[in-house]
Amino acid sequence: MFEAFDYPFMQRALVELLVLSIAAGTLGTWIVLRGLAFYSHGVAAAAFPGLVLADGLGFSAALGAFGVALIFALTVGRLAARADGGHDALTALVLVAALAIGVVLASDVFESGANVETLLFGSLLAIGADDIRLAALVAALALLATFVLGQRWLTAGFDPGAARSLGVRSPAADLVLLVLIALAAVATLSAVGALLATALLVVPAATTRLLTRRLLPWQLATVALAAAEGTAGLWLSFETNAPPGATIAVIAGGGFALVALGRAGTATLTHLRARRLAATAQPGGAA
Amino acid sequence: MSDASPPIAPSGADSALVTAADLAVGYSAAPVLTGVSFALHAGERIGVLGPNGGGKTTLFRALLNELRPLAGELRLAVRAGTVPQTERSRLDFPVSALDVALMGTIAGRPWWKRPGRAERAAAHAALRRVGLDALAERSFGELSGGQRQRVLVARALVQDARIVLLDEPFTGLDNVSAQRLEQLLDELAAEGRGVLIATHDVDQARAWDQVLCLNRRQVAFGPPASTLTLEVLAATYGGSIVTLPQDGGERLAILPPHHHDHDH
Repeated sequence: MFEAFDYPFMQRALVELLVLSIAAGTLGTWIVLRGLAFYSHGVAAAAFPGLVLADGLGFSAALGAFGVALIFALTVGRLAARADGGHDALTALVLVAALAIGVVLASDVFESGANVETLLFGSLLAIGADDIRLAALVAALALLATFVLGQRWLTAGFDPGAARSLGVRSPAADLVLLVLIALAAVATLSAVGALLATALLVVPAATTRLLTRRLLPWQLATVALAAAEGTAGLWLSFETNAPPGATIAVIAGGGFALVALGRAGTATLTHLRARRLAATAQPGGAA
Repeated sequence: MSDASPPIAPSGADSALVTAADLAVGYSAAPVLTGVSFALHAGERIGVLGPNGGGKTTLFRALLNELRPLAGELRLAVRAGTVPQTERSRLDFPVSALDVALMGTIAGRPWWKRPGRAERAAAHAALRRVGLDALAERSFGELSGGQRQRVLVARALVQDARIVLLDEPFTGLDNVSAQRLEQLLDELAAEGRGVLIATHDVDQARAWDQVLCLNRRQVAFGPPASTLTLEVLAATYGGSIVTLPQDGGERLAILPPHHHDHDH
């Protein structure tokens, strides 16, 4: 049943997904906690014209993508991370502009139209050693930054008004988070593409958020879930000949829907049981 | 990540922890609070009174260095610790009481260092002080309103804040929790901290050392007994004074204003 993983290209894809799960699972919890989901989607989409440029001009794809993503992080991202919020419209505007510029560049300037689909939806079955190396680098940085800066990220999210007085006065910690998310988005591009990056970066963390109450269990569960959903999606796409990035995204979305429904169902059951208990505790309704 | 130290007022310029002189603060060019002049000394509890939108929270944001003065002067001898209002978003935050108390240790160590044994001991000691060490591992959102306030007081203690700001800390507390918190505030003042408490409860503020009455401007500042006159209260809450019949005599009371001009 699992002979799919006998193929070297499948093994490389699996390693890429597992390494990405560490990066995406760790950063995903911070993305959800700090309300940066839309920013993450935006920064991944913004990387797309960078990829097209790199492809057309013949320099490193990761460099092109990260260059554009970095500009996005330092402009739109800094606004998005501020406590007062309300920058969704700007994020959306830049996101659409980036996609449009990417498509125009690809089809009319470099005439590399065939590549567009690969860049937008990833090419998990054509993963190279460089992709895995980049994913490993991002995973290591994500773990290190969480270890060192986690408490500051937590404090700034818990109590933005008091963060300064508590000693989180420098915006550098949040800036590191934004740049790391940009790096993670770039690393997921080759696997699931610019449009589906959130399937790994946001959806697993949002799913496990419903089930955990503390940061460390949440982060561990998110890494595990991202790895499981990635593996399942990869295997299913091989068996059904569907595109792997989209398959992973569908599985991740389905997982979230199942957990959310299950939680709503449990809450209803608990409520009903409590009502029945209250009713039997008051026989005849005598107060 | 260079966390610049806060401006320290020249020592000896009387021993006030906070000095405000004709202070005006606001979010844009137009101030929402003007003419604020008061001093907070060590060991004092100041009740900050005023209607919603009267400027209590704005003043606190200025004291936390979140807002710069538009006019006048505001000097803090040391950094202030804060017990903010509980917002809904905070209740499902994945932190324990201990995690919150540990946030008070950030300022005391270099940015690349994680909280270690000493920090954890300090956080536990502060939670013990507020009577919550047994619940250290409980999620912040699962605690009662009074317990949450006390965890935030513990955070200020870990921070060793000599100025403690509390924004409407008694809102929604039952009597026992409120008494417990009030006693804790008395203890904080007794050990030489300056405490500023925003409150709606005028009677409660009568027990404290000073009151600061705000209604978009400073209406009055001074000891509650001499300051909280009906005229001051009427100007603070924007009501009108009426005469009520009482036990054969008459009593003055304030008629609250209609809330037609309520804006935030």
